[in-house]
Amino acid sequence: MKDEITPASPDGIPGWGGFEFGRRLGLQATAVMAATGALGVLGDVSAAHAATKSSTIKIGYVSPRTGALADFAGPDNFVLNQIRKASYFAKGITIGKTHYRIEITEKDTQSLGNVAVQVTQELINSGVDLVLVSSAPETTIPVATTCEQYKVPCVSTVVPWEAYWGGFSGASISPQGAATGTGPKYNSMFFFGVPQFAGTFVPMWERVQKMTKCNTNVAEMFPNDADGNAFRAAFGPTVSAMYPKGGYNFVDGGAYTDLSTDYTSMIQTFKTGGKGGAACDLFVNAPLPPDFQTFWTQASQQNYNPKLATVAKVMLFPTDAYALGSLSNNIATDAWFTPYAPYKSSLTGQSANAFCALYQSQGNGQWVQSMGSTYSLFEIAIEGLKRVKNPHDRLALAQALQTVNYNGMCGPINMNFKSSNPMLASPAKGIGMIMPVGVQWKPGSTELVGHKKYQWSQWVVDNSLNKHVPLNGTLEPTNA
Amino acid sequence: MIWVNVIIQGILVGGFYALFACGLSLMFGVLKVINLAHGDMAVVAAYVAVLLSPHLHIAMLWSFLVVVPIFGLLGYVLQRTLIQRSIDRDPFTTLLVTFGLSVVIENLLLELYTANGRTVDIGSIIAQSWHPGSIVYISYVSLVVLAIAVLVLAILQLFLSKSRTGRLIRAVADDREAAQLSGANYKHIFGIAAAIAFATVALAGIAYGMMTQFAPTSGGVNLLFAFEAVVIGGIGSLWGTLVGGIALGVAQQFGAHLNPQYQVLAGNLLFLAVLAVRPQGLFGKKTALA
Repeated sequence: MKDEITPASPDGIPGWGGFEFGRRLGLQATAVMAATGALGVLGDVSAAHAATKSSTIKIGYVSPRTGALADFAGPDNFVLNQIRKASYFAKGITIGKTHYRIEITEKDTQSLGNVAVQVTQELINSGVDLVLVSSAPETTIPVATTCEQYKVPCVSTVVPWEAYWGGFSGASISPQGAATGTGPKYNSMFFFGVPQFAGTFVPMWERVQKMTKCNTNVAEMFPNDADGNAFRAAFGPTVSAMYPKGGYNFVDGGAYTDLSTDYTSMIQTFKTGGKGGAACDLFVNAPLPPDFQTFWTQASQQNYNPKLATVAKVMLFPTDAYALGSLSNNIATDAWFTPYAPYKSSLTGQSANAFCALYQSQGNGQWVQSMGSTYSLFEIAIEGLKRVKNPHDRLALAQALQTVNYNGMCGPINMNFKSSNPMLASPAKGIGMIMPVGVQWKPGSTELVGHKKYQWSQWVVDNSLNKHVPLNGTLEPTNA
Repeated sequence: MIWVNVIIQGILVGGFYALFACGLSLMFGVLKVINLAHGDMAVVAAYVAVLLSPHLHIAMLWSFLVVVPIFGLLGYVLQRTLIQRSIDRDPFTTLLVTFGLSVVIENLLLELYTANGRTVDIGSIIAQSWHPGSIVYISYVSLVVLAIAVLVLAILQLFLSKSRTGRLIRAVADDREAAQLSGANYKHIFGIAAAIAFATVALAGIAYGMMTQFAPTSGGVNLLFAFEAVVIGGIGSLWGTLVGGIALGVAQQFGAHLNPQYQVLAGNLLFLAVLAVRPQGLFGKKTALA
């Protein structure tokens, strides 16, 4: 089977040339598999044989329940509980003339790539028909590449599509930012990529520039890891290509080591590294969560106060904001799921708002973005199963998943969307795009979802990419 | 002014390294034990502080008042039971035992408290700083940590040179057999030294938890820096440890100023250079190596 490739942009976005996006994580997975490979293959064959006759569909769900990425999996128990109550999962699904029960097995990666490979192999050995995986390239790439190797269908989310695509051998990202090469056969995903990060952040920069007359120097805090190097290579060039009139000057803080204890030299660079020795009034990053806390505290100590901080990968969750306290005020980030969108579950019809309100009323704390994307993984699983004649036919199921097109908790998802708009089109078959909005952390209010007031909440301040989501807050500078 | 700032920030970071390395230096100098579980002990102290404070109804800032004595006791007990027994066998056993201890601690913490990061929350003071002028900003917390490091090392130095117990510790460190012949109970003396070492590591662990997030596996990287500080300063010299920590901190800041990529590398290069040129360390005695 040959994958059809849709170029991401007719003009192209420079900056991807020669860059190995996520490749290292894919290689890491291969190495771990080589170490435990022989056992895995034996188990795989016998399990697959047993599964073909079974009247149970086994779904494996992999996420980082513990470790540095644990916040992403925070709502897993609640979401899985809701999923298991939905009719397809509680009563089963009829495919052809056979009635199948659906069984979900959950696995924790401890936020480690090698553990992610091991638990995926355990799932495959136990004969799963489908693997669902969420949260950050460190988790999803090893799981997806392992599934590809063992020919088991897999759906990923919460991973930039460029990192996902680049994780497979034979697939790469062209200098124009398009998906090239031969894509995976057994994998699909939904999320967004670097152009959407730019499309969410830059409109907020433009508005703050009008408000504060601030300069166009952009501080970039990108670590020396898979995500960081990817952003370093792609973010600035993508912004410059998409907003040629913006005149943004990117100041790289340097490829620092993850979990550093001191960022004063980088802060010094941001304070004086702009054009003509000016400070960088705009700030963007993609660090590990503990590093952002250390950096942002030290930035405050060192009197570096950018006019607007637009952060990726951190400050996605309320716990991050609570930990930073008052330093969280008006930090902006992206949100791929909010309770304020008019979306609803394709399984039960429950609205995104009711879903989040229920989460909060059960004493789980404030809603988090990943609950929507995790929920949609299971919606997509059902959409895929509806399209096959035999759920144990792995290739058929994988191909069905690559063409899923439905409306659910995260809005419309089309895994094979052909469009002249490069923002919305699938970069390749099997990649569905969802459109994030810009949010800012501000003190909570009873006006928000569930009429519950929390210390810090995300307010939707920019919907340039997704007009479905209404604004409920006003964009303000991070530091006046 | 940039270089002044590099040096000032380096000294501040170095103060933390020195505080962290102080216990390691003592264990190394007196007991001749390289405690590979040193970093993990600091992490345990931070966990104890975070978990105990709500129960004791005290602010986390003051948790050290409780945690430090607990760790002193823990140090004495651990020394008299586990570590002493391994010393009695041979030096390699202590390496294996403390390494084993490190693995056990990390996995226990992982099992009990998951791998999630935590912080010793001391409120908004953490973000505040003193601005003496120009581009120099000095974080209050880092300044206090540096002051504590100097204070702890000064008290220890005084204690070792002036008090009876301190002199006994030095006697045992210099020549165990001779001290034993003169009637010193060296096992008890070792216990006291270990208690002091563990008390300082508790302080370092809590300071670390204030400055950044910690997780069960955070001990390793700090152990490396502490070890480098001890070796640069010279084994067996407490003031050397302070100077070693500061030298390491300044070297790292210097590297980071060139490019944040070189932050850790610059520290390691200094460590290698000292090992090559002056293996006994800046303040070490040649005999300490024997």
